[in-house]
Amino acid sequence: MSKIKLAALFCAALFVMLLSLFLGSHVINPFQASDVEREILISIRLPRVIVAVLMGMALGASGAVLQGILKNPLADPYILGISSGAALSATLGLLSGVYIFGKFSIPLTAFIGASFISIVVGFFGWKEGKLLPERLLLAGVGLSFLLYAMLMFLISISSHEGIRRAVLWIFGDLSIADWSMIPYGIVFIIAGLYISVSRAKALNALMLGDEIAHSLGFAVHKERLLFFLSISLMTSASVSLGGTIGFIGLLIPHMVRFIMGADNRFVVPLSALYGGVFLCIADLIGRSLLPPMEIPSGIITALVGSPYFLYLLRKRDVLTA
Amino acid sequence: MLPIVIVSLLLSVTSAFAETPKRIISLAPNVTEILFALGLDNSVVGVTSFCDYPERAKDKPKVGGMSNPSLERVVSLKPDIVIMTTDGNPKVFAERLQSFRIQTYVFGARTLSELPQGIRALGLALGMREKADLLAREIESSLNNLSRSSFHASRKEKVLFIIWPEPLIVAGPGTAIDDAIGILGHHNIAAKSRSSYPKYSIEETILQSPDIIFIGKGHADIRDLSKGLLKKLSWVPAVKNHRVFFVSDNLYRLGPRVIYGIEEMAACLK
Repeated sequence: MSKIKLAALFCAALFVMLLSLFLGSHVINPFQASDVEREILISIRLPRVIVAVLMGMALGASGAVLQGILKNPLADPYILGISSGAALSATLGLLSGVYIFGKFSIPLTAFIGASFISIVVGFFGWKEGKLLPERLLLAGVGLSFLLYAMLMFLISISSHEGIRRAVLWIFGDLSIADWSMIPYGIVFIIAGLYISVSRAKALNALMLGDEIAHSLGFAVHKERLLFFLSISLMTSASVSLGGTIGFIGLLIPHMVRFIMGADNRFVVPLSALYGGVFLCIADLIGRSLLPPMEIPSGIITALVGSPYFLYLLRKRDVLTA
Repeated sequence: MLPIVIVSLLLSVTSAFAETPKRIISLAPNVTEILFALGLDNSVVGVTSFCDYPERAKDKPKVGGMSNPSLERVVSLKPDIVIMTTDGNPKVFAERLQSFRIQTYVFGARTLSELPQGIRALGLALGMREKADLLAREIESSLNNLSRSSFHASRKEKVLFIIWPEPLIVAGPGTAIDDAIGILGHHNIAAKSRSSYPKYSIEETILQSPDIIFIGKGHADIRDLSKGLLKKLSWVPAVKNHRVFFVSDNLYRLGPRVIYGIEEMAACLK
């Protein structure tokens, strides 16, 4: 991978992010913005674009790492039940009316739920001092079903008005993006990203199999645990920022691999970068398509992303990619 | 095609009762409120889990939600008539009830102007023509008074009625709230949305710069929840000029309480 190509990709990503700041149902010219427009840019669009980028980065990178450590192309950060855990605890929070933390209540309850479920999944995936990929995956799937059923149970029996809010939130909702949440999001997501990107070589080795990774000098189980930690951090933070947004964690890493090859030193950071870009675009479409209404970004990511993914699947052979 | 068939099926069985049915089930909170206002407290034998007004409605047996009432529960309560709405009850449920030879009635009013007529028709079906007419007339005269007094409103102002602050959900077209804003001589900025309770764009709210913002009180502490949104809207005239009002949920349901809801809004604007 040449440095120029990487730089070009990076600039293109930055350009799209900037563009999504100025475009929308109302296009704002940054050089001739009125006071109201400046206000919209600074207190509404900018935090929203930052949250979209952060969430997209977290999901893209987590997906890439998870597919690596589980050696399973179907893995996505939500398969571990983290999102269901977050959705369930946030819904419980909304229904019980826990507003002790003010506007942080929902992000906080979501984060607590996500982290708690990560620990539970880790506990089930743990045996004899090792984190076993298959057990982790199955524990995640099993827990997801349980949590999802509990969530549906709550929704079906509740007559609380918070339910509609919970459902919107579960679909992914970036309209609540606010400056005050961003510092926390940045801390967790950058920490997770740093762990993943700095250990990308280990991830390459893990994908070759435990024996080979071991003979290459990597402490297989310690690495896997660290990756799991980084995914939990990033996914929990992402879900708490704006709900559960599908597609990105599963398909962006594959798209990056189709185009860039399978070296995780590039796949992980580029999945993060393009996860961010993609969610920015999805959110831009969601808030511009039917003004003054907004469409939840989670719906757009799948509607726009899946056809492109299927096109790539036909055009390039995934199995040899 | 199917809805037409069902509606005609419904019409064919909604012949007026000669005398008031003794056992009534209401499948919508606004219908429950109307039934209680007609003095049918003792005839109502079942309500939905959403029916929480008046206070006595809470003590009635529950038959499930609006979209998912329990057929078994309804049948076991042996109703003479089940009253449904076009707004929230599944149409197939009426068909199921008919297969058990349970009479149904569909309350058709969806807007404020249709409410008095809807109440009259319901009264006719329940054999309570006079009482229903009285209630309908009461509502009509209040509506007339309200619109007459607002006829002289100095100018048409832009209004936004917020149902929930985060995510921002507002009252759009086809709601009693939208009608109420019109009766008060003002304009609902969300009137052109595609759904009744749209998830609204904050940017769009700023650009449309409402002069007045109403925030409906839900169960939760809406004042705290609204702080973040109002901060984002600090540029909007309504917020700048301290014309943000918290009002009760009287207008959320198309029933007798809507009058109080409009009066409450009118009082804020004085």
